[in-house]
Order: sequence, then structure tokens, then C-alpha cells
Amino acid sequence: MVTVAAARDPQLPTHWFNILHDRPQYVTSAVPRSRLPEEVQCAGRGVQLQQPFSLARQSLNTTDRYIPIPGEVLDLYAQYRPTPLRRAVRLEERLGANARIYYKYEGANLTGSHKLNSALAQAYYYARAGVQHIVTGTAAGQWGTALAYACQVMNLGCTVFMVRATLRQKPIRGDMMRLFGAVVHESPSDLTDVGQRVLKEDPAAIGTQAVANAEALALAGQDGESRFAVGSGENSVLLHQTVIGQEAITQLALLGEFPDCVIACMGAGSNFGGIALPVLGAAEDSGRLIRLVAVESAACPKLTRGRYRYDLSDALGTTPITKVYSLGSSYVPPPVYAGGLRHHSAGPLASAMYADGSLEAMDIDQLTSFRAGLLFCETEGILPAPESAHAVAGMMDVVSRHPRQEPPLVVLVNISGHGLLDLDAYRRFGAGEIEPVTANETNLSQSLSALEEFNQAIAEPVEAT
Amino acid sequence: MATGDGSEVRPELDRRQARSLVFDALAAAIPSLRIEALDEQQELYGDLGMDSLGFVTLLVELESKLDVPLADEDLMTIELFSVADLVDLVERISPPAAK
Repeated sequence: MVTVAAARDPQLPTHWFNILHDRPQYVTSAVPRSRLPEEVQCAGRGVQLQQPFSLARQSLNTTDRYIPIPGEVLDLYAQYRPTPLRRAVRLEERLGANARIYYKYEGANLTGSHKLNSALAQAYYYARAGVQHIVTGTAAGQWGTALAYACQVMNLGCTVFMVRATLRQKPIRGDMMRLFGAVVHESPSDLTDVGQRVLKEDPAAIGTQAVANAEALALAGQDGESRFAVGSGENSVLLHQTVIGQEAITQLALLGEFPDCVIACMGAGSNFGGIALPVLGAAEDSGRLIRLVAVESAACPKLTRGRYRYDLSDALGTTPITKVYSLGSSYVPPPVYAGGLRHHSAGPLASAMYADGSLEAMDIDQLTSFRAGLLFCETEGILPAPESAHAVAGMMDVVSRHPRQEPPLVVLVNISGHGLLDLDAYRRFGAGEIEPVTANETNLSQSLSALEEFNQAIAEPVEAT
Repeated sequence: MATGDGSEVRPELDRRQARSLVFDALAAAIPSLRIEALDEQQELYGDLGMDSLGFVTLLVELESKLDVPLADEDLMTIELFSVADLVDLVERISPPAAK
């Protein structure tokens, strides 16, 4: 299908790490649709696969700890992997940290983020299954850009619904996707019923990932050649991202290190899972303790302020209704620059990990993240994406709390993408033009109430005795 | 059933066997589903509440029970409405009787 001539580095993993083998309790389960309110059900509809079977079954696999990466995907990974692992020595000095800070940098590939790891894998499986066209939703545009490129590599058509707020913040993201042959629509749009409904309620609606995904699902359902794909949250997506953590373990081992703490930002969980899950597995193998810290946006604090409930992932309720930490699907986060952290819920796997105490969470406000991102740029020569800047800020918080009398903390942080398309945001921050942004409290309260009502409505009926 | 080369090949399923296999797989894929309440006319989505995750779970179950690998390209184009459609599918994909 694709011919690539790049030598595979020995540090490039040949398998994805599957946490479901070690922790089968994380396999996602969903509420039977027969229990859903009528407005979410679609009587007379059939069932069909959105994802190719071999891709979808990865989300349920509890048998194999390691799943082979197809050779064609490995060849494509070899074009940009292994990604660099570096020690942030100058940042350590600036912070006066009692820590050795290592970071994995995922922003150096053509599309600028970790999202390419799953986009290439997914496009491979869709192409092999005979799908002609993939439709998706994207928030900050990193997933949309990666999928547009992957589709071009695999000779697939690609349509992307991008959240209006972020497409207007950084229209160049849309230009990149079009450069790779994708058709890009601002969401909400008038192309779908759900988009029209949102625009009718509020013509100035800024959009959400849930609406963008719902529009993508609606368009994908209009013909037999197209299918919907998703860039985070699904277990299979986290699986594809585990090349990050596996490489980091190997690279750190060459330095005689193993992390005490792994930190990444949390949208729905793909970059977090990608770096944290293999380290968790390796720590358990060797009897080590490990801290995993997920950093979310204060504008969308799904873990720190959300509730562990069954909830819709897309605005139509088309996708499975799974148990997640959520702020409610009607929550519309303020338009922060870290658009990739605006999804109202964490994915099922990350949520299950938070519920059983396997990960910690903290929320970071936008100004703190930009400050941390600029410091990282000054000291390390890399401008992190606004999402990744949240991880840097979270890491700085963790390091600052580490007691001086203790041995130095070994920290691994994921810089999931570059911020070169966010220069305007950083400029505005430097000019003092960006206001602090926190959660929309009124909307949040209403959304959480609606989430509770929804869960009462779908509760399993108690049989009379 | 034994073949000439000593390997085991399952005979082609009849409708009753296929239905039984499907009912068992549905019960495994959909929590709280009672086999005795199933019939072929029920809609997978509307009556049984099956979503895409449940469908994948069901296919994994069927693949295991039939001991036959399911191919992406064969499954990507199908849309099933009723339990009867599913029984038809199982009849189609079950391993053929020894030739």
C-alpha cells in the first residue's frame, strides 16, 4: 500500500503495550441503549461497525499484553520515531528543583503532536477494511491535522469538523488539514441536523468537541463509504500511543533512570495514557511505586470537579454511553487556547484509573500554563502547545512540593505537541491581553444536574420481588 | 467431525444451532439480557439496546465460538437490524462442512 524507506531504530517499539491485559477491569462497558430516553434512541436503526473489527477489538483485548504493530505502520513510525527524550537541566536550575526532570517531545513530526501515532494506525486499519473516507471531529486541530496527513498517506478521503472557537483562534490549523487534502468544516455547521439545532439555539455558539463529533458521525452515516474515527478516549487510541512510554522507559534505562512520577495533560487521555501506561506496567513488574499525574484545564475540570457517571460522549448520543468522569455533555467550557483539553469528560480508561486511585489529577488555569510554557521555551528551546504547557505547569507544581531533604524526584513529563501555531496566543499572553479563565459555574451547575437526571433515567430497573 | 487428514472440522451449522449460538453470544455481550426472552424478530438496536461496543463484543464472542477469523472487509459493509439477521450472518460465516 505504502512504500517507506526509513531504517527502524532499535529503540522503536515493535508492539503496543496493552494495559487491559494487566487490568481487565478497565474494559469499557456501556449502558444498553434500550434504557436510554427516547430522544436519544433511534428506533428501526441497524447496528454496524464504525471502526474496522481488528481495530475495535483492540479496545476489548485482555489476552495479549503486547500487540504487534503492523509492519506498514512501523515503517511510518520510523519516519519520526523514536522521539527525543531529554533532561531539562536548565529548567531544573531555573526552578532550583530537587528533581531530575526528563521530558519526551512528541511535537517534532510533520503534524506537530502525538496524535499521529494513532492517526497512522487507524488510517491503516480503515484502508485495509476497504473504507474510502474518514470523517472526524477535532478540538484544537492536532488530531484533525494528524488524521488528514495519515489519510493522505493511505489514499483515503478525510473530512474534519473543527470546533469553531479553536478554528477561529488558529485558522492555520485548517490550512494545514487542507494542505493534506482534507475538507474542513467549522462546527457547529449547517451541514448536519445537530449543527443546525445548535446554531438555531445560539447562532454564535463557540462549539464543543461533543458537537463536532456528533456532526462527524452524522455525515459518516450518510453514505456507505465513510466511517467515523476518534482521536482520543477509546482504549485502542491509548494503546497506539503507548509507543511514547515504551520508548521513554528504554531511553531512561540507558541513563540508569526510572521515573518516580509521570505527568501529562488530560484531554480524554491519549497522551496521558501513552506515556503513563507502559511506565505503570514496568513499575508493577519491578515492584516500584509510581505517581501518575493528569493535568487538566481549570476551564474544564472533568476529573477534579466532575462526577463518575454514565454520559454521552457526542452531542447526539450515538456512541456508547460509558461510565466516565464528566462535567455533563451539556457543559460548554469557555474558549481557552488549550482546545484539546475542552472535552467534557475523560475517556473510560483514564476515568477508571482515577476512580480506583491509580492516577492523581490537578487543574491549571490558562495564565499559569502560558507562564510555564514560556519558561520551558526559554530554558529548553521548545515552545509547547497550550495543552502541553498545562503538563509543564503541573510538573512545576509537583516539583516545587518535593521536600528538599528527600532524594531528588525523577520526573517524566510528556510534551505532547509544539506551540508554533499558537504564537499569537503566546504573544497575547506576553502583552497581558489574556484573562484568567475558569469554569463557567452557572453552566457547570446546570450540566451536572442534567447529568444526574440522565443517570437516574437510565438506572437499571429494580425487579419486584 | 474428523477429516481425512486427522483434523477436526465442525459440520455446517443448521438454523437451530446457529440460533442457539447467537443467543448465547448475545447473552454474553449484553449484560442483564435473558436468553428465554429472546426471539429472532427482535431488533438488535431498538429492542436489545445494542450499540457499537456491544456489537464488537458480540463479534469477538462469535469469532471465538465459531473458531473462524472474521475479516475486516467482510464486516465493514454489513448492517444488521434483527436477531434473525445475526443468525443469517452466523450461518454464512460458520466453517463449511468437510468437502
